[in-house]
Amino acid sequence: MSLDDLLRQHPTLWRAQEQGGPTVAPPGLPTGFAALDRCLPGGGWPQQGLIEILTDRHGIGELSLLMPALAMLCRSNEDGRGSSGGWLTWVAPPYQPYAPALAASGIDVQRVLVVRAAAPAEWAMEQALRSEACSAVLGWANPREMTMLRRLQLAAEQSRCLAVLFRPVQAGQQPSPAVLRIELQASREGLQVRVVKSRGGRPACVQLGHLGAPWQFQQPLPQSPRQPAPFAH
Amino acid sequence: MAPLTRRRVPPEFRLPSDADATAPPSVRRTLAAAASRELWLAVHLPCVVLESLQTAIALLPGRPPVAVVDLERDGKVVCACDAVAAAAGVTPGMALASARALLPELQGLPRDLQRERTLFETVAQLGIRFTPRVSLEPPDAVLLEVRGSLRLFGGARALCERVREHMQSAGITGHLALTPTPLASLWFARAGQEVALRRADELVGRLAPLPLAVMRWPERSVHTLLTMGVRNLGDCLRLPRDGFARRFDPRLLAMLDRATGRLPDPRAAFRARERFSAQRDLEPELADTQRLEAASLPLLDELCVFLRQRGRGVQSIEWRFVHREAPVTRLRLRFVEPVGEARRIAHLFHERLARLELSEPVRAVRLASGPLVELPVASTELFISDRRESGAAVPQLVERLRARLGAEAVHGLCLVPEHRPESAWQARYRWSDPSVVALPKPTDPTTGTLRPLWLLAEPQPLAGDDQPRCQGALELEEGPERIESGWWDGKDIARDYYIARNASGARLWVFRERRRRNGHAAGGWFLHGVFG
Repeated sequence: MSLDDLLRQHPTLWRAQEQGGPTVAPPGLPTGFAALDRCLPGGGWPQQGLIEILTDRHGIGELSLLMPALAMLCRSNEDGRGSSGGWLTWVAPPYQPYAPALAASGIDVQRVLVVRAAAPAEWAMEQALRSEACSAVLGWANPREMTMLRRLQLAAEQSRCLAVLFRPVQAGQQPSPAVLRIELQASREGLQVRVVKSRGGRPACVQLGHLGAPWQFQQPLPQSPRQPAPFAH
Repeated sequence: MAPLTRRRVPPEFRLPSDADATAPPSVRRTLAAAASRELWLAVHLPCVVLESLQTAIALLPGRPPVAVVDLERDGKVVCACDAVAAAAGVTPGMALASARALLPELQGLPRDLQRERTLFETVAQLGIRFTPRVSLEPPDAVLLEVRGSLRLFGGARALCERVREHMQSAGITGHLALTPTPLASLWFARAGQEVALRRADELVGRLAPLPLAVMRWPERSVHTLLTMGVRNLGDCLRLPRDGFARRFDPRLLAMLDRATGRLPDPRAAFRARERFSAQRDLEPELADTQRLEAASLPLLDELCVFLRQRGRGVQSIEWRFVHREAPVTRLRLRFVEPVGEARRIAHLFHERLARLELSEPVRAVRLASGPLVELPVASTELFISDRRESGAAVPQLVERLRARLGAEAVHGLCLVPEHRPESAWQARYRWSDPSVVALPKPTDPTTGTLRPLWLLAEPQPLAGDDQPRCQGALELEEGPERIESGWWDGKDIARDYYIARNASGARLWVFRERRRRNGHAAGGWFLHGVFG
């Protein structure tokens, strides 16, 4: 009898991995990278709760990592009813998001909202999350206080949208209420994604290839989660 | 010049109603039809100059006789005076000094054109209650087309009585005249003759005794007519048409024709300029913004009731906080789309008020709306599962962000079909819902080429000659892609773009300038984008 089986028999022991495990975790938004999907508890980016991406450098593929998911949010909008759907809000981006490249990545640029907020970037992010207008909110900020992080996490939890906060690697030392924290490192082989914290999952490390624009699907893009037509035969 | 009046008037130049029997039947029919279609009530305000200053006159101590002087003529000529002054012999046009000689206690007041306009518009607003077709005849008359309203108000006599009552309660004197044509009504009212004519064929006969002055024609024309022995309108109408047209402005002949119903007289309709404005005095004075907000919200509710009753919205409102000494603090709220919902305005108000610095405690709050606009009517979905899909929340988000961060800080994106990288996109500040207006998708000339997700606001010069350096030497991976364009607007570029990778693994978009520009030599390297 292995140690694993022994532990399993014990009624008062539970595993962090199983707490709110895959069966309970709401299905995530596929990342577009099969290797990464396997590490994440919902099989993709969690759509409830804050995602923290820790990186010190721009240009290593930190945006390309999100592009398949963002493109899918736009696509599901189109597949839905007409062109209605949520907006993609960028709060305090370090550079100008370049519309032609976004369009080439499959993003509907008419539904991109750029907020150049220097000081209260967290405030703007919270407003966007609480507005029920966005399907994704990307923010570049480094909130010092735990309360601010908690507020963002709460807003993200209630909003049912992809909430991503980019912070420096240094911030990984501090605790955070985010449901998912990943750290990005550039290496010779490409982008290395280290899952630092994942609610309902376990820490992991995934090596993705070079992500350049335009990103390539490593698997066919999954069908957007479409609701069946109510009166379909 | 041969005196025109002496000439025999050929019958065809007579005005038709003057010679009704001789007019061809078609003319008679159209006249009768026109007469049955419209009935114009003219309201002339003979004392508008004096009555507009009513409040100022009431404040004068001792109620002295008053004369109003026109500031345009150095304030020395009387343009209106009250009954006491008139009884003493003061007349409009008299010099103020001579008037003072007649009546030493005479008080001169400057004319206030703004107030006159307000009074005039009050009458127009009053007219709106009786008919939707109100036309202005500035500066002192309003025309109402009342044919359709006669039945509702119980006939012409009752309607005129109602108009008169309303004007009396507003403290305005007016002369009313009712005829089938607007100009005839106006002339009767100016002459002070309160007539009620229902038939167009009576017009010419009744207009005839009116003096020429009621038409307010140019002084020169009136003078010429007087020298010709033309004393009243009847004389004027009896002149031969061709001679009249030759000697005078053709517009004058057209006026005569309009007045007698020979020509149609379409008139611009007055649209009431409605705004909301309300004030609330604060007792005691308030200094902190939280309590000020609570005290201001009832005004906002009033505004929203006002808007709801009219089914309209506003795009801007202005709050004014009145202090004891300091100048009024203004707070202007703008909305990206017309709104009429108290909660939404309150949200924005809260955001702005929280950042407001009050120099002094506030004594009174005023709220004034901008022009009222139609509220966009949107159909809501019955089975809406998500507010996001309706897109209704986006403008509110933009408003809230702009209220705090400024209008420049929040923008959308749009594509521009351009080869130059910096011109291939634009920030979109104007708000329009793309779900309503689908912009045509521009065909991108750069399809199939790699573009970075991040673009630098300005290309950043890099060190290095053959190999660019940016935190270490850059390794050129792809390129060059030559972009040479834009000679037509003075921002032409000639660059070779490369995709480069730096030592830390970031992919950068760099270019080599092919021409000398902005003090940089040709061949210089620049960083223009980051692949993200």
